[in-house]
Amino acid sequence: MTGRMRRILLNRFVVAPVVVAAVVLVWNAYVASHADGIVTGHVVDRFGRPVADATVRMMEQNFTTNSQRGTTRTDANGAFRFQENRSHRIQLRAEKPGAGRSNQQAVRLYFRSQHVDLTEPLVLDGGAK
Amino acid sequence: MNRPKPSRSDPMHRYPRWPLHVMLVAISFAMLLPFYWVLKTSLTGENIFVYPPSILPHHAQPFYYVDVWYFIPFARFLLNSVIVSVLAIVANVVFNAMAAFALSKSFPGRGWIITLLLSCMMIPFQTTIVPAYLITGKLGLLNSYLGLALPTFSTIVCIFVYKASFDAIPRSLIDAARIDGLSELRILMRIMLPLSTSAIATNVILAFIWSWNNFLWPLIVVRDQAMQTLPLGLSRFLSDHENTTGALYAFCIMVLAPGIALFLMAQKQFIRGLTSGATKG
Repeated sequence: MTGRMRRILLNRFVVAPVVVAAVVLVWNAYVASHADGIVTGHVVDRFGRPVADATVRMMEQNFTTNSQRGTTRTDANGAFRFQENRSHRIQLRAEKPGAGRSNQQAVRLYFRSQHVDLTEPLVLDGGAK
Repeated sequence: MNRPKPSRSDPMHRYPRWPLHVMLVAISFAMLLPFYWVLKTSLTGENIFVYPPSILPHHAQPFYYVDVWYFIPFARFLLNSVIVSVLAIVANVVFNAMAAFALSKSFPGRGWIITLLLSCMMIPFQTTIVPAYLITGKLGLLNSYLGLALPTFSTIVCIFVYKASFDAIPRSLIDAARIDGLSELRILMRIMLPLSTSAIATNVILAFIWSWNNFLWPLIVVRDQAMQTLPLGLSRFLSDHENTTGALYAFCIMVLAPGIALFLMAQKQFIRGLTSGATKG
């Protein structure tokens, strides 16, 4: 590489935009490969036991509104799965007659439709209220 | 290289310099504090009226930036601002350099033109906004990128920045170029502008900042949401969404970041451009 070319290519007005463009490119590639809209998690009772057949509601949260986007039921292991989340800011709530309901759990995602496996289960309160 | 030892009789070295540095650091902190506060709030969403205020961010997370990106058409606003700023920068460099080149020559009435330009600097843009709007309307440029950038196509301050830089170039160099057969335009392009990189950097930064932060003109000219620039988007965000402290501050950071980045990259040339022409020859 000639000295002139080196000076042109390696100055901060070229390097900074190229670095930014590379970061944006990598980030977009990551987003594209992880935006399948799947949200998975578990529902347990207050003793930590899985709750089967509980209803889980997913709500899409905005600055001002909170609208329901889907419901599903847990399987025998207390696991649930939503397949078509299109938001980056959702809330989940589980309930089952006789077993109570969980708190509304806010889930913040880094991008829309991000694949997320919740580590914290939704805990039913046992119908205490 | 051996530096000569500073003499005690030299007024620049008669007193210790550390008190000056301490004072400058303190002033720098004071000036950076609001920026730090905006950045901190954009990461934590803390209410600014919380007492006692926390200096360090607690539970910092980037989700307010994600909210801004998705809840408003931020990418569209960003694109509009970039297009308008690029138009303004290109037009500024071309028109200001040409005007300054003309003013660096001797011709009858030059003093009057310079006086007229200097006196025009005292007229605020708000007073000329109605004729500017009417002219833009007659040209059919309302609600267009060209119309948004039009009033910032040339700025008198930058004409004088170029003029100071051009005046500092030795006349003999221009005369030699003329003897070699270069036309006036080629003298400007090949001799004057390459020797005035600091003035160009100053013009680029100023044109970018003025265009990027321009609020009043886009507010009047733009009719569609799709043509709004970032300052208009920020205003709309404020009016549409209440109690969104974290997201609002994140929006501010996202609007400020490109201008700060450009200034940090070109600050050396910017300062040199503003001070060029202080010494002639």
